[in-house]
Amino acid sequence: MSAVASSARAAPGIGWRDIALAIAPLVLALIVAAVVLGIAGHNPLEVYWLLLKESFGGTKRVAATVAASTPLILTGLATAVAFRTGVFNVGVEGSLLVGGLAAAFVGFTYVDLPAALLLPLALGAAVVAGTLWMLVPAVLKARLDVDEVVTTLMLNFIAVSFTAWLVNGPLLAPGSANSATPMVVEAARLPKLMPPSTLNAGFLIAVALLVLYWLWGRGTALGLETRLAGLNPRFAIASGINVPMLIVKMMLLSGAIGGLAGGIQALGTVNRFVVGFSPGYGFTGIAVALLGRGSAIGIFLAALLFGALATSGATIQLFSDVPIEIVNILQGTVMIFAVARFSWLLKNRRGGK
Amino acid sequence: MSTAETLPDASIRLGAQGVTRRFGELVANDRITFRAMRGTIHAIVGGNGAGKSTLMRILQGMDRPDEGMVVVDGVPTVFLGPADAFSRGIGMVHQEFMLVPGLTLLENLVLAHEPTEGLGRIDRKAALEAARKLEREAGVTLDWDTPVDDAPVHVRQIVEILRLLYRGADVLILDEPTAVLAPAQVQELIVLLRKLRAEGRTILFISHKLDEVMALADEITVIRAGQVIGTMTTADTTKAALAEMMIGEILSKPSARPSSVGRPVLEIRELAALDARRSLRLKELDLDVRAGEIVGIAGVAGNGQDEIIAAVTGLGHIERGRIVLDGKDVTKLDLRDRRELGLSYLSPDRAVEGLCLTAPISENLIAGRHRSPELSKGGILQKGAIKRHVETLLDRFSVKRTSSALPIASLSGGNQQKVAMARELDGGPKLLLACQPTRGVDIRGIAFIHQCLLDYREAGGAVLVISEELEELIALSDRIVVLYDGRVTGEVARGSAKVEELGRMMLGETRQEIPA
Repeated sequence: MSAVASSARAAPGIGWRDIALAIAPLVLALIVAAVVLGIAGHNPLEVYWLLLKESFGGTKRVAATVAASTPLILTGLATAVAFRTGVFNVGVEGSLLVGGLAAAFVGFTYVDLPAALLLPLALGAAVVAGTLWMLVPAVLKARLDVDEVVTTLMLNFIAVSFTAWLVNGPLLAPGSANSATPMVVEAARLPKLMPPSTLNAGFLIAVALLVLYWLWGRGTALGLETRLAGLNPRFAIASGINVPMLIVKMMLLSGAIGGLAGGIQALGTVNRFVVGFSPGYGFTGIAVALLGRGSAIGIFLAALLFGALATSGATIQLFSDVPIEIVNILQGTVMIFAVARFSWLLKNRRGGK
Repeated sequence: MSTAETLPDASIRLGAQGVTRRFGELVANDRITFRAMRGTIHAIVGGNGAGKSTLMRILQGMDRPDEGMVVVDGVPTVFLGPADAFSRGIGMVHQEFMLVPGLTLLENLVLAHEPTEGLGRIDRKAALEAARKLEREAGVTLDWDTPVDDAPVHVRQIVEILRLLYRGADVLILDEPTAVLAPAQVQELIVLLRKLRAEGRTILFISHKLDEVMALADEITVIRAGQVIGTMTTADTTKAALAEMMIGEILSKPSARPSSVGRPVLEIRELAALDARRSLRLKELDLDVRAGEIVGIAGVAGNGQDEIIAAVTGLGHIERGRIVLDGKDVTKLDLRDRRELGLSYLSPDRAVEGLCLTAPISENLIAGRHRSPELSKGGILQKGAIKRHVETLLDRFSVKRTSSALPIASLSGGNQQKVAMARELDGGPKLLLACQPTRGVDIRGIAFIHQCLLDYREAGGAVLVISEELEELIALSDRIVVLYDGRVTGEVARGSAKVEELGRMMLGETRQEIPA
């Protein structure tokens, strides 16, 4: 009863408590990383200032950060739509890889089509590929209650090997030896927003999807059903909601968005598919979804954070003797704290459950 | 006189002195003072939301008062946590038992405090010896090698109590201990607790069942809206006086007016069903529920009730038999389709299945009906219409709330159940399967919910009530069917049901024919 009363006061608006809970993982990670930096003989404040400057100091740096966060918005969103339904889909990485390859394939194969046709077709192929990739784990989960963490995680390895085999064999660029497809034609590429930055129209697609997600979650019957199924599946079933079907739908949607993330990366940034196409976008997406607590604005900010760490991490070595590993440590620490339930600590202190 | 005030009164084993606990605006405990004397049974009674649970949490160190102190052996004390309270001999038996499934009763008894021999192996002989000693103290005999999962609920409760004794507790706090028991088992528990009292232990128990309180307690403290209304010795009070103190007024009992019984809405034919452990729990059941009729199912928990629920809702598998709803065979349909055909289901497990505690009140109220044409169009929720619908329903069921956007966990148990009831009666179902409709609900809430069920019956609704409260079944049912070991052992009509007789039938004795 006591926990109830304290949470009742916090809802329904967003209070300071929620904001504090949301940024707690970041603050704690910064503290832990500061200790690591200190031990390694660096001044943590200087390093953090440098990271901030490298990611947000000036238009070019901001553009680079935003470009780096684009795939993370999408993979974060893909993960969040599944989480929301109570499905722990860790297979967005796999959808992203097959989606990226499918988009690249369309982009270098149907070279005679006009841009107005080719680009949507290529992105559509990415969505279809990503969706189909999730079909098997979705059906296994809904029909036989096979643990989706295991199936989707394992499918990631299959996706890595499967795409690698394709680009080393049937889809290898002629005359190339470096495990890559041919470049996609100009007509299949997403328009650049701020050349020479790689920031492209994919970012706009990502933001548009976030807005749609926000509206969908608040105002649609399906949005309500997924939330109830995620919060309490037994309740949802007893209320007459078809939870297994919902799980299939949302896992497929998750795969579709993951595939789109790959397509946008292939057509906007890389312009083809190569082995090592993704530095773990799908996995970082899990951290983005958790840190962003499944909300649209939270996913956006968390993706921006990880995007900033990625861009500043790449250049920080050029301007200081701080090794890039320290950025990786920072990133990893944020992820660990993002999973922690700090709200439990708060409730305990207030004498709740 | 002055020495009496300065010296601690060691005869007070556990008590509270001016304990106040606030949660925001809400004052859950308001300067509560009471004393449970050593070697007595002290009852704390009060309705839902009176502040009993908060007080119990404070008394066993799980929460701290904002003002005031807990009194132990006459000395005002601050507990650092439950372990601190336990080290002073104060232990609690919770409503949900905390036994570990998969272990035997003996293993559960000694869990975390096992007597060991070399290399940390559990010394079974020593454990069994300890168990036998506790058995003698409590005046019970148990088969200690039974796995917890196979032990009936009253046996598990006894193990919970003995476990606290094993670890050295001499103050037992019991939270609604009889909620899960059949009448005969309640008597056994009362005997056990009296025996423990005779050995000098102190028992504090929370209840809103006044019969038991009157039968068991030496002293009674009544709380209402966070305040102590009074403390009295049992001999000096009556049930009616307690009820009035608890609710502040005298309630009129809901009454069942005659209603015209129509065609069968639910027909259960030759039903047999397996339980979760795949043994045949429901052996054979034929049952009709007709329009304008309330049929009650009485029985000790675990005699096939869960399987009836699973079969009627379609949430579980049946071994054989047919379920016919309003003339249609629904045996193969799932709950969603059955709901479409007019089934409503009030779950026995409000916290897990009946409601989504973390979701807003409004969503709990529309869940399942959110796709009806008035609440959503083309998959888009109609905010305005939903808001109006929700507020109308909440008003009609007089649910006390600050905002329907708050999580439903912010409501008291009684108001939560009213929300569940409102949802299930919304839209005019043909059959309501009402399971434990008033579990954990206070007297006032019970009267309201009973009235709802009776009104629905009068309007031509059919209700199948499954309840462990015999008084409730007697008050509501036109017919009571008694279930024992997966079969019907008797049926009694309204007006001729007696608690004692039903209690006997629940334990397997078939009804004796009364000569005309």
